[in-house]
Amino acid sequence: MTNFPPANENQQAQAKKLWHGVDRSMLTWFPTIDQNVCTGCGLCVLTCSNFVFKWNVDEKRPITANPQNCVLGCTTCGKVCPEEAITFPDNPSVFIRNVVVKYKVYPKVKEDLEARLAKFPDHVVNSKGEA
Amino acid sequence: MANEFELWHGMKRSDIKWYPIIDPNKCTGCGLCVVTCGEKRNVFGYDISQHKAVVLFPNNCMVGCNNCQVSCLWNAISYPEDAEYVRGLAANLSQDELEEELRRKLESNHSLVLQENFK
Repeated sequence: MTNFPPANENQQAQAKKLWHGVDRSMLTWFPTIDQNVCTGCGLCVLTCSNFVFKWNVDEKRPITANPQNCVLGCTTCGKVCPEEAITFPDNPSVFIRNVVVKYKVYPKVKEDLEARLAKFPDHVVNSKGEA
Repeated sequence: MANEFELWHGMKRSDIKWYPIIDPNKCTGCGLCVVTCGEKRNVFGYDISQHKAVVLFPNNCMVGCNNCQVSCLWNAISYPEDAEYVRGLAANLSQDELEEELRRKLESNHSLVLQENFK
């Protein structure tokens, strides 16, 4: 069997992305840019570290290129946008609550927490153990 | 070694009031905030004796991010300021600084440039 190269980075990311066990591709969460309001300051592109945006060099404007890369419930780009040009499909707290309840994610969150603390032992606090 | 989060687009990060505050009386210790925060910034610790999240590195918190707050179903996390505060900071950043940072970021991440621009 030949190893086909991924069609594009977006599809590759989609194939693997899970949110505490929930298939990311089942969930709708991404920024929408109002191109009539955007002034092209670039802060959204600078803030996002997940390659959600691409930069149109000719137009000097961002576009939402990889919506599936957007962190669920994240609205950071929207908050730093001086023009309020970025919106999301839902209230983030309501959205996350619905996902947490519908998919019963807490057992997986507990596993993920244990893995995080095992990887970063300096983040384990033992308040009773302190002198 | 200089802390990579020391500056926010030219502003001193320690001058910015943006970080989570946990109400231990509301925290149920589910840990979702701890793992919602990325490994690079890793703002939280976890108290294994109290079974509660704790804020260890407030100034590692990404300005404008409150993903931990929105993920807390018990409303145990608050921030000292709101979105309007962040927007106010953003509006006063140096445009030259942002332009230069964007130039550098696009230069080192070619996949961020819309491909149609190359045609």
